[in-house]
Amino acid sequence: MKVRQHRIKYYVLGFYLLLLTVWQALFSAQVLPDFLFPSPWQVVRRLWELAIDNYLWPSLRATFQRMGIGFSIAAAAGLFIGLLMGMSRVVNSCLRSLFLGLQTLPTAAWVPVSLLIYGLSDRGIYFVIIMSSAPAVAIATSDGVLHIPRIYLQVARTLGTPTYAMPVRIILPASMPSIVTGMKLGWTLAWHGGVSAELIKSTIGLGFLLQMGRELNDAAQVIGIMLLTVIFGVLLDQFVFGMIQK
Amino acid sequence: MRWMRPLSAPVEGEITLDGTRVEGPHHDRLMLFQEHGLFPWLNVMENVLFGLRRQFRFKPKARRQKAREFLQMVHLDQFEKAPIHELSGGMKQRVALARALAPDPKVLLVDEPFPALDALTRAKLYGDLQEIFLRTRKTIILVTHDAREAACLGDRVLVFSGRPGRIKADIAVDLPRVRDINDPRVAEYAKLIMNQLEGPADESPTT
Repeated sequence: MKVRQHRIKYYVLGFYLLLLTVWQALFSAQVLPDFLFPSPWQVVRRLWELAIDNYLWPSLRATFQRMGIGFSIAAAAGLFIGLLMGMSRVVNSCLRSLFLGLQTLPTAAWVPVSLLIYGLSDRGIYFVIIMSSAPAVAIATSDGVLHIPRIYLQVARTLGTPTYAMPVRIILPASMPSIVTGMKLGWTLAWHGGVSAELIKSTIGLGFLLQMGRELNDAAQVIGIMLLTVIFGVLLDQFVFGMIQK
Repeated sequence: MRWMRPLSAPVEGEITLDGTRVEGPHHDRLMLFQEHGLFPWLNVMENVLFGLRRQFRFKPKARRQKAREFLQMVHLDQFEKAPIHELSGGMKQRVALARALAPDPKVLLVDEPFPALDALTRAKLYGDLQEIFLRTRKTIILVTHDAREAACLGDRVLVFSGRPGRIKADIAVDLPRVRDINDPRVAEYAKLIMNQLEGPADESPTT
């Protein structure tokens, strides 16, 4: 079936309306008791209450701030290490295996270590964010550098580009597509790690609101915050990388 | 070719340019590659400017002027802002040519530059290359497997034998320019070159 491009958004809209309807239908059919399975309306109302009680905004801001700072550090470190990996065979062989190994670790698995090292302080959350996302950025960056067509380097050399200028003039721009992909993946992992860490370590933030909902046995709050986490994760991804890819 | 640029050193003997020994890569000798090697993150103008970066005697404005001049020479001045991926194969190769010419090299090394192009584009580029040669009077060293290409473009054709690579023949092509690749006189020279290529390797002169 062929659907015209501008029509697709209506199908997507319809799909989500259908999803909401199914949700409401399941609620109305009382498959689970309503304190375990709230209706869409209850979820929205709970989020509204949180917003009015001044819980939501400070938490969102705290999470964004942690993500902004944590991911910036992770991206810078990952980029730097990735460039080193791309330029030295030895560094690459050593770190690649290490980072691939670390990537098999679920991001939440960094939380206990950070508790041990940093206790309940905010620095522990940064630690989790950085450890979750920097290896992905580094690996993608080094992949980009290693796959630069040799001809670019040869051309630049014959045109007299000095060695010290190579990283900025050739290596970085030539591996940009791969770096952007790595940053996107790194951002997603940072978001995972950050919210996981907030579940346990914080008194503010999206993760904290999730945990608070569980402690209050408030299913509407848990589901509502989960939805917000998804929505803001997607929005920030679009916003940040929309600008980079322009 | 690699020795002349040089990206590597010859096993024996030495390469000299105007009596000076060739040591490292320098914009005295520029190379046009089989693959165009244009930088996709820069547009046409920026690609040509890249080669002028090291020419400190020119101010930025003068560099731009110079780059535009060479783009005109390859008939691409309309496209100076175009991104590389929007160009056709022949246009890319012409941008690469402009980029190689812009730093004003003494020698232009051309390694089978037009392999993946259709016959029409090729014929056009042969014409362009000859016109540029007539205008700039650069020394151009071109490597090719195509006898007719050699006859069409070369003033002096050196025929190499395969392993070990030795010079088998030295043929002067005495035809007026601009030559047409389909000119029967070019075909005649091509035949002469082919005969040399196919002929016995043993009693050939080595230079």
